[in-house]
Amino acid sequence: MLATGDRAPDFSLRWLDGSEWRLQQAMADGPLLLAFMETDCPTCRLTLPYLKRLAGALGADSHRVVVVSQDGAEETRELVEAYGVTFPVLLDADLDVSRSYDPPAVPALFLLGEAGQIEFCEVGFSKGDLNSVAASMLSSLDLRATTVAELDDGAPLTKPGCSSRHLEAALAATLAEADGAEQPREPSPEPIDLLPESAPRATRFVLAEDEDPYEYCMKAGFSPFLPVVPPTEQRVDAMLAAIPHPPERVVGLVPPCYGAATIEKIAANAVMAGCKPEYLEVLLPVVRAACDERFNLHGVQATTNSATPLIMLSGPAAERLGFASGAGVFGNVARANSSVGRALQLMMANLGGALPGEIDMAALGNPGRFSYCVAENHEHSPWQPLHEDLGFDSDDSTVTLFAAGGLMEVSEHTARTAAGVLRTIAATLAMVWSWRRCLRVEAVLVLCPEHAATVSADGFSKSDVRDFLFENTGVPVRAFEYEGTEGSQALGHYQEVLIDGEPHYRKFKDPSQIHIIVAGGTAGKFSGVLPGWLAGEGGSQSVTYPVKR
Amino acid sequence: MPTLVSPLDERSREAQPAAPRLDTLEGKRLALLDISKPQGKEFLDRLQHLLEQRYGVAEIVREIKPTYTKPAPGALLEKLAFVDGVIEALAD
Repeated sequence: MLATGDRAPDFSLRWLDGSEWRLQQAMADGPLLLAFMETDCPTCRLTLPYLKRLAGALGADSHRVVVVSQDGAEETRELVEAYGVTFPVLLDADLDVSRSYDPPAVPALFLLGEAGQIEFCEVGFSKGDLNSVAASMLSSLDLRATTVAELDDGAPLTKPGCSSRHLEAALAATLAEADGAEQPREPSPEPIDLLPESAPRATRFVLAEDEDPYEYCMKAGFSPFLPVVPPTEQRVDAMLAAIPHPPERVVGLVPPCYGAATIEKIAANAVMAGCKPEYLEVLLPVVRAACDERFNLHGVQATTNSATPLIMLSGPAAERLGFASGAGVFGNVARANSSVGRALQLMMANLGGALPGEIDMAALGNPGRFSYCVAENHEHSPWQPLHEDLGFDSDDSTVTLFAAGGLMEVSEHTARTAAGVLRTIAATLAMVWSWRRCLRVEAVLVLCPEHAATVSADGFSKSDVRDFLFENTGVPVRAFEYEGTEGSQALGHYQEVLIDGEPHYRKFKDPSQIHIIVAGGTAGKFSGVLPGWLAGEGGSQSVTYPVKR
Repeated sequence: MPTLVSPLDERSREAQPAAPRLDTLEGKRLALLDISKPQGKEFLDRLQHLLEQRYGVAEIVREIKPTYTKPAPGALLEKLAFVDGVIEALAD
C-alpha cells in the first residue's frame, strides 16, 4: 500500500454516468479524499453515511470526497441510490487503480494534499480517522469544523474492513496457476456463495377448487402459528411491481439457515403479513439490516434468551407511509407497523429456518415475535431524531434494528425534574438482563413525550440524558453478598463508583450502550426500557440502514 | 383456483449422518472445545482430568471459540481437523 508522504499516482476513471474523471484535475486547488470501497462490504456501508456527512460539511467542495468502487456499474449504482450519494463515485471494476494504490483492505482512505502527496492513509472504519480527515480538509478550505462521527452514536468506534478486491483477484489467479491449466480443480459438491446475486424463482402451488387457501398456508408451513393473507400470484405480482429489482435478485441470506431473501420471497412474505406494496421501501432495508453480520441474527434466532429484532423507523418516511409513533406504539396500532414487523418475523422462520423449539431455542420467547416495529415520535420529541444522531440528513429516513427482549414499563408520574425522572428510569435499567449482570448489557430507552418534555425543560440534551443514566445506573455492592448468583463471576471486571453516596458497580460499560428514542402518546408518564441481548461484537450490534424511496 | 407463491426456503437439505463413533478413547487424541460460556473452563478442566486418568486419552488439545453467539471461525475448525474426536462443551 502507498504510504503517507508518497506521491499519489495520477489516474483517470469513469463516473457512473460514463464521463471521465482525472485525479490531477480534481485536486488542482485543494485537498481530496479517495475512498476505495466494495459494494457488499459491511464496513464500507458503515462508512458511507459519515462520508456523506463530510461531503455535506464541505458544501460546494463536496466533490472533494471521491469513492472508488471496486465493483461493476450495476452494484455500484444500487449502492449510490440506496445511500443517496451525490459526491463522485468512480468505477474501478478492472482494479487497475486499486492495484496501484494497493490497499490490503477496504474501505481504504487516502487523503491527498494540494501538492499531490498522500497526507494520510488508513484501511477499515475508524471514527477517529474520519474526524481527523474531516478536520484537516475543512481547515485547509477555511470551512467551519464539524464532527462527522459522533463517538456515542451507536456505531462501533472501529471496525475492520474486507480484503481489497484486487488481492482477491490475485489470490484466485495464484491458485489457478498452482493448479495448472490441465488439472482443473474439481468443483465443490456444495459451493458456498455467501453473497449470491440471484437465486431460483419461487415454486407455484395451484390449489384444488375445494381447498381453503388460508388453511392451506397453515398446513404448508407458510405460517403455522397465525393465519396469513394467502400469497396468491396476483398479490405477489402487485407487490413486485412496486420494486425496481428483478424477482430473483438476492437482498440477503437470512441466518441461521441462510435461505435466500430474493425480491420475490420478500414480496410473498410481505403479502402474507398484510403489507401494502409501498411498505417495501422500508422492508427491504429491514431485510438488509437483519442479514448484516454485525446484527448476528444467527445468534439472536438461536439463543435461549427472548431477544428478537425490534425495528425502529426514524425520519419522514414514517409519517408518509402511515407508521404509528404515538399512543399505543408497541401495540396493534397501525397496519404499517404490524405488517412490516410481521413480515420480518415470517422471513426469519420461512427463510432463516428458526422454528420454535428446533432452532429458535428461546426459553420464554417474546410477544415481539409476532411483530416488533415502532416509529419515532418526531412531532413530540424535543431533540433531533435517531437518524440525525447517526449522521443522516433530516430528510433521510432510516431503519435501525436492535435485538430486544420484552418491554419493561417505567411509571414516573410524580417527579417534576429531569434528575427525578431519570433516576426512576435508571432503577429499571439496572435490571436489564439480570440485576447483578453488568457491562455486556445494552438497552433501548423509549422516552414517552411527557418524560422527554420534563427532562428537556431542565436543559438536558439527548446526550446529557445518556450520560446521566450511565453515571447513575448501578448495582449496589451489597447485592453481591449472595455468592454464586449470575453476574458475580465477572465481578473482577466491574467498576465500583458511588451513586447517591452508596458503593455501586456501574451497570454499563459505556454510555453508547443506552440507545434513546422518543415514542408513544402525549398523555401518560410511562416510558419503556427494552433490554438487549449480549452487547458488542461478541453478541448483537444495533445496525442502521437508509430507507430509499 | 388460486395459485400461491412459495414464501419458503426451497433448498432441499439432506440429513447428514453423524461421524463414526470412536471404539475406544484409549490412546486417542481429543480436542475439548470451550464455547466460551461462563465456567466452561472449570467444567472442561474436570473433564480433561477424567479423560486422562480414567480413559487413557493420549493427548488433549484445548481450543476456545471467540464467542458462543456465533459459529466457530473456519481457522478454528481447521485446527480441529487433526484430532480423533472433539467434545464441544457448554457451561453456565
